[in-house]
Amino acid sequence: MLARVDQADGAHLKLAEALSLAAARHDGNPTVRRVWLACGFTPLHLVTYLKARALTSRREALDIRTGVFGDLPGNLALATADKPAECAVIVEWADLDPRLGFRHAGGWGPSLTRDIESEAGRQIDRLIRAIAALAETSAVALCGPTLPLPPIGHTAPSQETAFELRLRAAAASFLARAADIQGVRVLSQAQLALESPAGERLDAAMDLATGFPYTVPHTDSLAKLLIQALFPPPAKKGLITDLDDTFWRGIVGEVGVEGVCWDLQNHAQHHGLYQQFLAALAERGVLIAVASKNDPALVAQALGRSDLLAPQHLLFPVEVSWGAKSAAVSRILSAWNIAASDVVFVDDSPMEAAEVQAAHPDMTCLAFPRSQPGRVPELLRRLRDLFGRQHLVEEDRLRAASLRGAEAFRQESGAAAPDEFLSGLHGTVTIDFTTRASDPRALELINKTNQFNLNGRRITEGEWRIHLAAEGSFLAVVSYEDKFGPLGKIAVVTGTTRDGAVAVSHWVMSCRAFSRRIEHHTLDRLLAHFAADRVELDYCPTERNGPLSDFLRSFTELPACAATVVITAGIFEERRPALPHAVRGIGNGSDRNATSGMLLEGVP
Amino acid sequence: MDRTETRLQECFSKVFPDLSRDQIRDASAASVGAWDSIASVTLLMLVQEEFGVVADMERFEEFTSYRGLLEYVREACPDG
Repeated sequence: MLARVDQADGAHLKLAEALSLAAARHDGNPTVRRVWLACGFTPLHLVTYLKARALTSRREALDIRTGVFGDLPGNLALATADKPAECAVIVEWADLDPRLGFRHAGGWGPSLTRDIESEAGRQIDRLIRAIAALAETSAVALCGPTLPLPPIGHTAPSQETAFELRLRAAAASFLARAADIQGVRVLSQAQLALESPAGERLDAAMDLATGFPYTVPHTDSLAKLLIQALFPPPAKKGLITDLDDTFWRGIVGEVGVEGVCWDLQNHAQHHGLYQQFLAALAERGVLIAVASKNDPALVAQALGRSDLLAPQHLLFPVEVSWGAKSAAVSRILSAWNIAASDVVFVDDSPMEAAEVQAAHPDMTCLAFPRSQPGRVPELLRRLRDLFGRQHLVEEDRLRAASLRGAEAFRQESGAAAPDEFLSGLHGTVTIDFTTRASDPRALELINKTNQFNLNGRRITEGEWRIHLAAEGSFLAVVSYEDKFGPLGKIAVVTGTTRDGAVAVSHWVMSCRAFSRRIEHHTLDRLLAHFAADRVELDYCPTERNGPLSDFLRSFTELPACAATVVITAGIFEERRPALPHAVRGIGNGSDRNATSGMLLEGVP
Repeated sequence: MDRTETRLQECFSKVFPDLSRDQIRDASAASVGAWDSIASVTLLMLVQEEFGVVADMERFEEFTSYRGLLEYVREACPDG
């Protein structure tokens, strides 16, 4: 079935539904996650809605802690002391100065505006310090003022006063400062406005009677966005696009190479916007491929046009044939070596999309609205939602290039003996023990890698920070480059050290780095760095971690279910193959071979 | 038990899932430990949602028993 191009869960939850959900326990996941909600008002059923939205989107039960009424900085301090993995923070105007709310009577006269501005500025500084302290150990979802300002300006409501504009600018500046703090995610006011119109947010009667200022629909919208920000779904990795009447307007086989268009003059700007968006996605590291039923020679010419907004070098692979689209999609997935669930397919033909969806049920298939240009922004917003990521990292830039390099790697590796071939790569493995939580790449790898993954367990940013702050924890980030080019940071190992053992809780490696013995180098370096006599691996077989299992099986027997797998230094030395690459270690402390923070071992 | 009462009992069972129907009929802030100000507000919001009546927050303090709330609903929404 073709996925609809709209918000999948746009309907508001009724309070009765939210209460039923919040009271339920998800059968498959009995654990309850402790989350803080820090705000200056009485949270009332916002707590219920947060629980309900966590269950509907994440199937996870929340235990939500809150502070006391009217003291947002104090509540932030309480949350910081409690060190939750996640904390939602809501700042309303009354938190910047109580005179900006309805529950205080400190005056709204013109003589007070300067004082209100000054107080708001001081409070913003206090809040920034408190949020920065909280974000050191917790992932923070921050929502700025959502309610209307009280009638404090001297103009008619149709006109803003400079005072109100300065207040809004101060709030916007506050949110921008907060967004620069590592671990803070600021909710989009634009998205909130789509879900909750500004005029339908304040429940003044409820605010005056109970101290809870929101209408029920606004409460639900806020809860939904806060949960999305605290627990963002994994971003899709690749997009496969059709060409005719999708990537461009027209059928190239009928109108010719110069006849297809994507510009305003030819009433085809919506195709140009789509191309422009694809180019931006590619720049962020999203893989873009083409699946088209077409004449390959014609398509090659059309994709060679210099005025394309998403130029040919961004598209890999380009699958053009008269065969089934689903078969072309299968070949693309194979070239990318990623799962269908990580990919979005876009086609203007409902029939083609249905055919691909039937063959790849886990793929997200979207319709390109070729005859409804006005719906293209909606499609692009949906794509932004599917591909939205917390951070952009250097590896994003390298990914597409390294996939092309992988093709050359496969061809060369098939023609030579493994040891000889690998030595000839002139590879360098860099293992960095100094990376901390501030580098988003390590967590990103853990949360999106499936095949070489020790146990498939995902981890939230808050849990990550807590893990890395724990005594005895370590983090090793592995990078690699060879004659085919750099792959960037492609593996992560983390865990704790104790009693001569390295206990590994997570070990992942990108599939782009397979077949190079980087995992052998990693294990070798891990044992040496910590002068350990064994590695204890928190292993769990999953549907997709066969490559990791095969690697471990070369050293020891594997259990059929989750268990600790031990590889001793002796067994590793005895059974490992030749290690073909130079190793560059970054990190000091217990590194027995290092004479400084960095060393280079030329192996080949 | 008429339809209004059935619907009101549904609202109560959302807030006090451990109470039986009989217990709900006799429920009051004095007799139910879980009935605090948050429960009162939640009940009022549920009534608003279920019966489409705008809760009169000035009478908030009166809503401390099932029977009191039933009376309020019948008064505000005579057709059920």
